[in-house]
Amino acid sequence: MLKMNKVSKVFKTELVETHALRDFNLTVNEGEFVAVTGPSGSGKTTFLNIAGLLEPFSQGEFELDGIDVANLNDNQRTQIRNEKIGFIFQGFNLIPDLNLAENVEVPLRYRGMGRKERQQRVNAALEQVGLGSRHKHLPSQLSGGQQQRVAIARALAGEPRFLLADEPTGNLDSLMARQVMELLEDINRKGTTIIMVTHDPELARRAQRNIQIVDGQVCDFTMYQPQQESNKDVQLEEALSE
Amino acid sequence: MFLHYLDLAWRSIRKTPALSLLMVTAIAIGIGITTTTLNIYQMMALNPTGERSEQLHAVQLWSHGPDTWDEFHMQITYQDAMNLRNLAPQFKQLAQMRSGMVIQVDSDKFEPELRAVRVTDSDFFSMFSVPFLYGTSWGEQVDKDAAYHVVISEKYNQKMFGGGDNVGKTVYLNRKPYQVVGIVDNWNPQPKFFDPMNGAFRDAEEVFVPFSLLPIEKFQVWGNISGWKHEDTKNFSDTVKSEKVWIQYWVELNSQESRQQYKQILTGYIDEQKALGRFTDNKTSADSSRLNTVAQWLSIAEVIKEDNRILVGLSFLFLSVCLVNILGLILTKFLKRTSEVGVRRAIGASRMHIFSQYMVEVGIIGLLGGLVGLALASGMLYLLGEKFGMDSSLISMSNSMWFIAPFIAIMTTLVAGIFPAWKVCHTKPSVYLKSQ
Ligand SMILES: Nc1ncnc2c1ncn2[C@@H]1O[C@H](COP(=O)(O)OP(=O)(O)OP(=O)(O)O)[C@@H](O)[C@H]1O
Ligand SMILES: [Mg+2]
Repeated sequence: MLKMNKVSKVFKTELVETHALRDFNLTVNEGEFVAVTGPSGSGKTTFLNIAGLLEPFSQGEFELDGIDVANLNDNQRTQIRNEKIGFIFQGFNLIPDLNLAENVEVPLRYRGMGRKERQQRVNAALEQVGLGSRHKHLPSQLSGGQQQRVAIARALAGEPRFLLADEPTGNLDSLMARQVMELLEDINRKGTTIIMVTHDPELARRAQRNIQIVDGQVCDFTMYQPQQESNKDVQLEEALSE
Repeated sequence: MFLHYLDLAWRSIRKTPALSLLMVTAIAIGIGITTTTLNIYQMMALNPTGERSEQLHAVQLWSHGPDTWDEFHMQITYQDAMNLRNLAPQFKQLAQMRSGMVIQVDSDKFEPELRAVRVTDSDFFSMFSVPFLYGTSWGEQVDKDAAYHVVISEKYNQKMFGGGDNVGKTVYLNRKPYQVVGIVDNWNPQPKFFDPMNGAFRDAEEVFVPFSLLPIEKFQVWGNISGWKHEDTKNFSDTVKSEKVWIQYWVELNSQESRQQYKQILTGYIDEQKALGRFTDNKTSADSSRLNTVAQWLSIAEVIKEDNRILVGLSFLFLSVCLVNILGLILTKFLKRTSEVGVRRAIGASRMHIFSQYMVEVGIIGLLGGLVGLALASGMLYLLGEKFGMDSSLISMSNSMWFIAPFIAIMTTLVAGIFPAWKVCHTKPSVYLKSQ
């Protein structure tokens, strides 16, 4: 599904070169829920941006859903983002001038989807995050948790294969964070692959698989799967084979 | 998608009303000034005769002596006019001058008044496509054997008689009775191509009388009389016999052949006159006459002054200054929204999507600026008429301006918007996602 081989990313400024990722190797399989943790500045966001085709990488190989994305042009990357990837950000990043329904509709419009189908999907997505009755509200009229749920609805409406979340609960209190987490788990159960960066070890523990990034490299795998013992071995084997 | 962009643009414009207003004002001022000068220029550049322009010819003669004028004069002598009239009767031609007369009718409602009158030949009306509401011009016979006939305009007909078919009624010009033979429907070509020397943007005369009456009635000349040598012209008959130029002469030539034919007649005539001791400058006979189409005539008369060209140029320069200002404002506005662009890029907007969205917004601002600019231009033209007495035909907004002004406005702002829109659509999506 996602396969990174010796990917590295160097940020060059006038004075310094920052190696945000170095020889980064990771494989994520379809349907996994991966939690990414690591110290600040270790490269988590950089990894997610590269995974989401928001940023090019300097070196290495990266295959997404069977496509070698190294040599795609901007339009092709945009199209993949639009069709295969859903983004959830720490800052929600809703468009403040648009109401909830319009916000959720944005990626569908760029896909060139007809009005009717757009509406259906918007309704379904907002329903799924429990905001079915608030189409006309503006983001500023919602609480943080609600805004994040709208952002999730926006990511879901396009029915992506991947959901990339960068500290989705970072701005939320623990109750709201748990609600958002449950929503993500729910989505994952329906088959969407999720990669989530978080600072919260408790939330991370709830994911099937944990990876830690330290200094731009995948450092350590820990598997938490208290509910589904049977799955654990398979996952372990996979992890070890990488 | 376009409608969606319109919607987004409109919201964005309303969201920052002050900035939007500033932009619209900047464009409006530029467009207002450009439209004003362009409108005046366009009105000046108009050729009211259309296709007839190539057929109607104003005649010029180099009848002056050596070392006097170094250009053709726009008018000719009375004797040349009379000679040409008799020499080529197979052509439609006319001699004319502008005069003024006291006008009266048998009505106590109409106060006697002094007014400009056109003294001309019957072919004036057919050559210049003058439409008649009632009656028609005086007959050709009248051009030879003078008769006291008069043609008036419908506007004047209203004023004198209160309107209606008044053919046959009597009008007194300089206290002499004239019979009304025709009433001209609305006719006021601008520029006044048939007599641009006496004000290219004056209205056409409302009263017309036969040229054949000129020697009998010795009409006052309300135009230029120019001479190139000293001549004692104490009275009218002196003027008629003199070398002074004061008659305008037109001929209709519908083909290349007739043009050549007429040119030959002119050359032959000048040969003759040279033999008689006139046309003494050392120019060949062929070079001593010129036939000008209406377009050439308007250019010779310098209907469009050099100043106006410069003014149009300056106003476009001013518009480009506005453009630079707008560019700055647009850039400021757009760069404030890079975080939104980042989000849109992340979730699937291509650069083209973003570029189009912002260009639509710029276009709307341009359109608004254009419309306000039009209103400004109307106001400025009105002021030019009211406060500076500019001729009314120049200050009436030309129909094409209703399209040209918004078009220029939109084009200008789109040009100004290209760089900001290009800049904003190259926003790196990742950079702006963290902030907010
Ligand atoms: N646009 C950039 N230009 C230069 N350096 C950058 C840029 N983005 C990130 N970096 C550097 O790359 C390294 C990794 O940054 P990254 O944002 O991926 O860290 P992170 O793990 O997400 O940290 P945090 O937990 O604080 O969000 C840091 O040293 C950072 O300074
Ligand atoms: Mg980060």
